[in-house]
Amino acid sequence: MIVQTSLLVGLVLFSVLAILLRDLLKAAVSLAVASLLLGIIFFRMNASYAGVFEISVVAGLITVLFILTIALTNKGEEVRESKLANLVFPLFFVVFIIIDALVMKGLLQKIPALPSSPESGAFGDVLWKGRTLDLVGQIAVILAGVFSVLALFRKRDKHD
Amino acid sequence: MTNTWYLYLFFSAALISAGLYALLAKRNLIKLFIAIEVIAKGVSLLLLATGFARNNVLVAQALVVTFIVIEVSLVATALAIIINIYRHTKSLDVRRLAKLKG
Amino acid sequence: MIILFVALPLVVAGVLPLIGKISRRVLPDLLANAALLFLLVYAVAAGRPLIANGPVLQQLTWLGEAVNLHLALDGFSLLMLMAVSLVGLCVTLYSVDYMEHYGAKANYYALLLIMIAGMNGLVLATDLFNIYIFLEVAAVASYSLVAFGLGHDELEAAFKYLMLSVVASAFILVSIAVIFGMTGSLSLPAVARALQELNAGPVVAISAALFIMGFGLKAALIPFHAWLPDAHPSAPAPISAVLSGLLIKVSGVYALTRIFLNVFGLTPALSTVLMYLGTVSLVGAAFLALGQKDIKRMLAYSSISQVGYIVLGIGLGTPLGIAGGLFHLFNHALAKGLLFLTSGSMQQATGTRNLDEMGGLAKRMPFTAATNLIGSLSIAGVPPLNGFWSKLLIIMALVQAGHPVFALIAVLASVLTLWYYLLIQRKAFFGILNEKWAAVKEAPFWMTASTVILASLCLAIGVLFSLTIKTWIQPAAGVLAEGVQAVIRSWGL
Repeated sequence: MIVQTSLLVGLVLFSVLAILLRDLLKAAVSLAVASLLLGIIFFRMNASYAGVFEISVVAGLITVLFILTIALTNKGEEVRESKLANLVFPLFFVVFIIIDALVMKGLLQKIPALPSSPESGAFGDVLWKGRTLDLVGQIAVILAGVFSVLALFRKRDKHD
Repeated sequence: MTNTWYLYLFFSAALISAGLYALLAKRNLIKLFIAIEVIAKGVSLLLLATGFARNNVLVAQALVVTFIVIEVSLVATALAIIINIYRHTKSLDVRRLAKLKG
Repeated sequence: MIILFVALPLVVAGVLPLIGKISRRVLPDLLANAALLFLLVYAVAAGRPLIANGPVLQQLTWLGEAVNLHLALDGFSLLMLMAVSLVGLCVTLYSVDYMEHYGAKANYYALLLIMIAGMNGLVLATDLFNIYIFLEVAAVASYSLVAFGLGHDELEAAFKYLMLSVVASAFILVSIAVIFGMTGSLSLPAVARALQELNAGPVVAISAALFIMGFGLKAALIPFHAWLPDAHPSAPAPISAVLSGLLIKVSGVYALTRIFLNVFGLTPALSTVLMYLGTVSLVGAAFLALGQKDIKRMLAYSSISQVGYIVLGIGLGTPLGIAGGLFHLFNHALAKGLLFLTSGSMQQATGTRNLDEMGGLAKRMPFTAATNLIGSLSIAGVPPLNGFWSKLLIIMALVQAGHPVFALIAVLASVLTLWYYLLIQRKAFFGILNEKWAAVKEAPFWMTASTVILASLCLAIGVLFSLTIKTWIQPAAGVLAEGVQAVIRSWGL
């Protein structure tokens, strides 16, 4: 429990760091570390498939895409963030955490739930046989992403 | 709901709120997208934690895996749009995108 | 084989880019239109007999094994499928001519077909998470379609649309997680049954609030509307038609209605919230539309206003109100699609969207003027067009249920709507022909043909309104009016 909680704290810490850091490259790396921690958290919840996916796809693929974009958009002038927003953020965050903790404490045992039945089957079965329409959806969204990128990077011979 | 669920909900809410604040306050387009990524982490944490609390990790994993695939497509499309915006305005400042009044 | 509604567009979309390499124009045009024509014919011809004995559930077997692919087709889904296929077909017909100068036509058709597959899948899904997935499928396709022209305005609008849409998805997923936590299941009938057993008032209220924020963003209800007036005008005209006519209704109104009426059950509190939300959108957007000079922006605000009407009617909860809301949903899909298409014709002919610069176009573009007039009168609610009957139903339902103030507001907003639509007509089409447009020609064949089809439908449905209501609207309204029982009893899996 202690390990899990510290991992969670690390996750939030690195995510906030990714938002606050001014250097985009460092922010992308921070986000990757946060994804790594989230993957480990998933592993410890007995969700090894989700953990593997999170680490390889989010910490891997998405970080690469980010760094690619950062490299392609490097030559512009640096965007100066609003100083006020950066100052207000820690205050806002701490206040939110306090309210969050109080609300959670108040909600303890208040949300009813139906009893859960023991789980059976393997992950493969659950994904392929139990949630097959999800797979159709995944194929559709991957097609959508691929065609979007193709459409947005097409060669323009005429520009209006 | 078991008590550990509330622990995860606490952290998930922190992540989502941090991401939402950044979405409103930040000006760099790529930072805005990092904010969206943070929100996505919060949501996937919540989904899996819910499955964990209900002893139903397999279904929750399927949901999270699907959600991550959707996230990748979304990131690809968004970054393609960002790169195109950069080609137009030579800047990543969202204030340069204020032509339309909304 | 209702899986065809999702599978066919996806398969065609998958092969289109390859075919696009061989034949840049003819084959993609042909394939896309053929696919949508097939879906439309299938929905119209086979739909009603299929659901004559209650909803159709489909569980497929694939390679010999039972696969858990649950799709359900009932009256409400069938109505949405028809709207999607109808407007979709007219949009693909229109795109044959309009998208010529954008390039990459095969890619465009592929994205459009994926969006249609997503919308169809959303409408046929029986599971909360499937609804979310297909919502995202349609959304991801729509982001790049809005940005398709690659101009500054389009990219800006697409980016802002994307940002807000992601927030909506986050809210929806959090709500789904809470419901999953409470009930342990994601399929609609199981959730409905479990929620009745649990009696968890406050938590369901939180979940409902999150759904309203998420789906309200997708439907562009005020105060969640900020993205629409930028996104819809900047997109290419056929995409604006699909976004305004279909996407906001399928991913916003349909999902909200299905979940609130068939799963949560429409409590008086929920009904009041929906009615107030609808009324605020109805009135607010009508006023916002008044000051607009850009014709597509005015149409965009009008969409927000009419969606308010639909939500008001459905939120009322009485059978008559629901029937009115659904009928208005269908009519608005046709009419708003029509109006965006004609605005595209006008934009292509004159090169501008600014109403002040146009004038007297009716002499040079008679067909476009006529169809635009029909579309405008339909939305404004002038008899004997279809919009009149659907608005009348909603107003009657409001009076019957004892809400005369709401009814009065609805009538006044209607008058306002009529006013600004007549303004468009006067400024753009009638009056003295502006010299700049002396050489303007009528829009190309397919563009005109598709608008004529939609306009004729508006007329036909208006004249044959009782037939339309009896055959298509009543089954849909019946499903919703049954409330939670409809899903528990007949979708029980």
